[in-house]
Order: sequence, then C-alpha cells, then structure tokens
Amino acid sequence: MGALAAITFANVIARYFTDQSFAWTEELSVSLMVILTMAAAGAAVARDRHIRIEFFFGHGPPARQRALALLSHTATVLAFLCLAGLATRLAWDDYRYEVTSPGIGVPQWWYTIWLPVLALAIAARAMQRLIGSLHRR
Amino acid sequence: MIGTLIFVVFGLLMLAGVPIGVALMLGGAVGIGLGSLGWLAIPNNFYAGIAKYPLLALPMFVLVGAIFDRSGVAQRLVNFALAIVGRGPGMLPLVAIAVAMFLGGISGSGPANAAAVGGVMLVAMARAGYPPAYSASVIGAAAATDILIPPSIAFIVYSVMVPGASVPALFAAGMVPGVLAGLALIVPAVWLARRHGFGRDEAIGPRPPFWRALREATWGLFAPVLILGGMRAGWFTPTEAAVVAVVYGLFVGIVVYRTIRLREVVDILVEAAEVSGVIMIVVALASIFAYAVSTLGIVDPLTRLVTESGVGSAGALAAIVAVLLTIGMVLDGVSIFLIFVPLLLPLVKLYGWDPVWFGVLLTYMVAIGQFTPPMAVNLMVSARLAGVRIEQTVPWVLWFVFAMLVVLVALIAVPELALWLPRTLNY
Repeated sequence: MGALAAITFANVIARYFTDQSFAWTEELSVSLMVILTMAAAGAAVARDRHIRIEFFFGHGPPARQRALALLSHTATVLAFLCLAGLATRLAWDDYRYEVTSPGIGVPQWWYTIWLPVLALAIAARAMQRLIGSLHRR
Repeated sequence: MIGTLIFVVFGLLMLAGVPIGVALMLGGAVGIGLGSLGWLAIPNNFYAGIAKYPLLALPMFVLVGAIFDRSGVAQRLVNFALAIVGRGPGMLPLVAIAVAMFLGGISGSGPANAAAVGGVMLVAMARAGYPPAYSASVIGAAAATDILIPPSIAFIVYSVMVPGASVPALFAAGMVPGVLAGLALIVPAVWLARRHGFGRDEAIGPRPPFWRALREATWGLFAPVLILGGMRAGWFTPTEAAVVAVVYGLFVGIVVYRTIRLREVVDILVEAAEVSGVIMIVVALASIFAYAVSTLGIVDPLTRLVTESGVGSAGALAAIVAVLLTIGMVLDGVSIFLIFVPLLLPLVKLYGWDPVWFGVLLTYMVAIGQFTPPMAVNLMVSARLAGVRIEQTVPWVLWFVFAMLVVLVALIAVPELALWLPRTLNY
C-alpha cells in the first residue's frame, strides 16, 4: 500500500518535470491523485487514523466506547461498499456508452474503473477493523 | 424535512465518532435517496470532488511540509535567529515564534510546522529553564500562523470551493494577517517568560557566530523566496511551486545538509501520502454532502431565516465568528471549511462581503482552533513532543488565544489588512 503511494507520488513529480505544459499530464496527474487518495485512505483506515470527533469516542465507559467503535467501523464498511457498488455502475456506463475523457480522449472507464476497485479495498480494510473490534472484548 | 434529516444523520454519526468523511457521505446519501436525485450522483460527485487540477497543490504542499520537517532547515534558522537577537530571558520563545512564521512561508500545514519547530526548540527551551507546558503552548500557537502565511493548505481548499477567490489572491491576502498574528503572539510569550522568570539560564548558552549562522541558513532562507517569489513572478502556478519546493527541499536535505538519508525518502513519501489521503478523502466525500444540500435547496431557507431575523451584516458576522470559534475547538480546519463554506456562501453574497477577505477570516478562526484545546492539532503535536498533557497547557495557551483574538477583531474592523496586498499585487 505504502509502496503504491510512493510510486504514484514519484510519478506525479516526474511527469511535471518532463511534460509540464501538456493537457494530458494534467489529466493523468489528477487521476493519479484520485487513486493515491483512495489508496492512502485505505491505509489510514487500517491504522484508524481518519479524522473524527473523539469526545465521546475516546472517553467514557469501555462498553460505550466499544459500541461506538463498532458503529464507526460498520458505517465505514457500509459507506464504501455502497460507493463501490455505485461506482461499478458508473464505470460500466462509461464502458457501455464508450465515454471518452475530456482531456486526451482515452476511454473514461480507464479512470473510473479504479473507483469501485479501491472503494472495495477500503471497505475490506474497514471490515478487518470491524472483525478486530468484535473479537477484542 | 429531508434537509433536517440529512443534518441529523450527519450530526449524530459525527458526534458518535464515525470518521467525518463517512458521516458526511451517509448524510448526503440519505438526502440523495429520499430526494430521488439519482444514485449515480454519489460516485460522480466523489470523483468530481477531488479530480480538480488546483487541488493537486494540496498533497504537494503536504509533502513539502514533511520534507522540510526533516531537512534540518529549522535548526539552521534557529541558530541564525539566535545569532541576531542574542541570548537572554524570553529570547528563545521569540525565536521559536519567528522561525515558525518563517517556516510558514515554506510549508502549508500547521502540524508539520509544529513538529519541525518543536523538534528543534523544545529541548533547548527545557535546558534553558522554560517549563515544557509553556514551551508546547508557544510552539503550538506559533505554528498556527502557518496556515495564514502563504503557502497554505487551508487556502487551497477554500479556493477550490469558492469561485472568485483565486489561490494567489488568498495567499497574498493571508500574508499581513499572518505576520500580525505572529507579532501578537510574541507579546504574551515574552511577557509571560519575564513575569515568571523563565529562561534565566538562557544567557549561559553560547551565541552562534553571525556569519557562519547566516551562511548555513541561506538554503532555508532562500526557500520562501523561491516559492512565493516564483509564484509572484509568474514562473509557476501554486501546484508547480509546490513541486519545485519538493525537489528543492529534497536537494537541501539530501545533498546539502545530509540530514535525510535516501531510505528515509520513502518514509516521507508514505507519510505525506497518508496525511493528504486523510484530508482528500474528506474533500471527496464532503462533495456528496454538498451536492445533496445544494440540490435540495436546503441553504436558501437558512439564508432567509438569517435575513428575516434582522440581525444585519455585523450581527450575522458576529454570530458566524462565535459559532466557528466554538466549533473550531472540536473540529479540524478542513472539515470546518467543507461543512460550513457551502452554508455560508449565500450569506457572503447577500451581504456583499469580499470572498477573499472572508476566506482569510475563516482561515484565521481555524488557525485559532488549531491550538485551542481540547481538539487542537498543533498543540497535540507540540505537547506530545514536550511530553506534557494537553490539559497542562491550558493556563498558558489561553493568553495566546487572547492575543490572536485581538488581531481577529482588527481584521474584522479593517478588512484592508487582508485586501491591501492582493490589490497592490493586482490579483
């Protein structure tokens, strides 16, 4: 996960220096940024480092904390499963109707296909956390 | 009705400690489902929310912060500052604030700044007899000027959300308020040190020789010139400036100061990727929320409510400041922007407030929130480095909050403080 992030970052930088002024580098950098964001967000889910209000979450009786942790992980799984499902439809539509990208005219589904895949990966990471907190009594 | 439900779902989930991005998305999804807006709006807005070219500057400036945090620039700047002001009670906190402001001209995020300055100053300050809780407060507060002094991640997010507020204009507008805030922080820092007799042992320490310190600090001193000057001269866009800064920082850290080993570069990349991923995923998910809120027309009744209540421009502004300062205590800056900017923009238009000035104002309040306990990202970093609990810093930190509030009042009373520079530079 970390390696992918690093490669993507290096890619973005390299692209800047070689072909700064072309429209296609913009499009590519931007789509790489989306992929990077989702990959990094998945890693952050695994380490439970996402931004949240910890006032109730991190204080109070252990039973309540445990219930809130379960709620938090369940909500994350639910949200990203939902996103994965809908993004599949989006990518499928892009594929079916042969939508091309605005910048360089390659098939749009080359970009959108990553959305469901990575959303599913994030959901899987959150599922790991959920199972982990179920076992930890 | 649907509108209330969206905010109730979002509010409850958020209070329960569900990650803010997830709470925003689920709130938005409820709205999209009940309002029959078409489910595909969810992935569409998710993608469109972050697939924006100007936003590319955000991960880049996060990376810049992570690199300069470890490049050894902070240490050289501290030596240089000490060579100028000399040793004496109250001088170390002054230097800490000055260096944090200067680093603010390189990096764009408060916590990275707090880590860089804290890593260098906390040990020195402890040795000179400053209590750790006081030192952590000084550094946490000083690092908050970072998001006001350009470049700034907060301004990038605001600019992406608000048409008519360009990144260069916001950067220029943040300069004067940021410097004023830093100067305002120096007053209580030195006064507290003098009153409590902190740092009596400081005079014993050696004063670094001026010319050598200057020579060693040159590489660091040049960085803001490159970043800000390059943007001003039109050499590069904010995004490109960030990439140039990344390369410059790596060069200085690896080749010149030899503080970053090649193996650590990977660590830095991974760390920066994760930090920006955490921010950007909230941006992406928040755009689903924003879409639901704006398409369902929830904001208009709210706006009407405010106008019909007859509070007027000043009253509405006072209410916004009060609410945001309170919320800033528990919520981080980017989330505040993503939740509140869509709600407040109609008011900005209605009362004819300048969007650039309003962005500086919001960022200023976020900056105060960054070191106001309990949820204070900068203070968490500096307190952890100093080995004190957040609660212990409260008696000191309140003085700095007060100093920042004085400048906030000035900024509201005299919008020119923010708007003069961008107008002079023709942005």
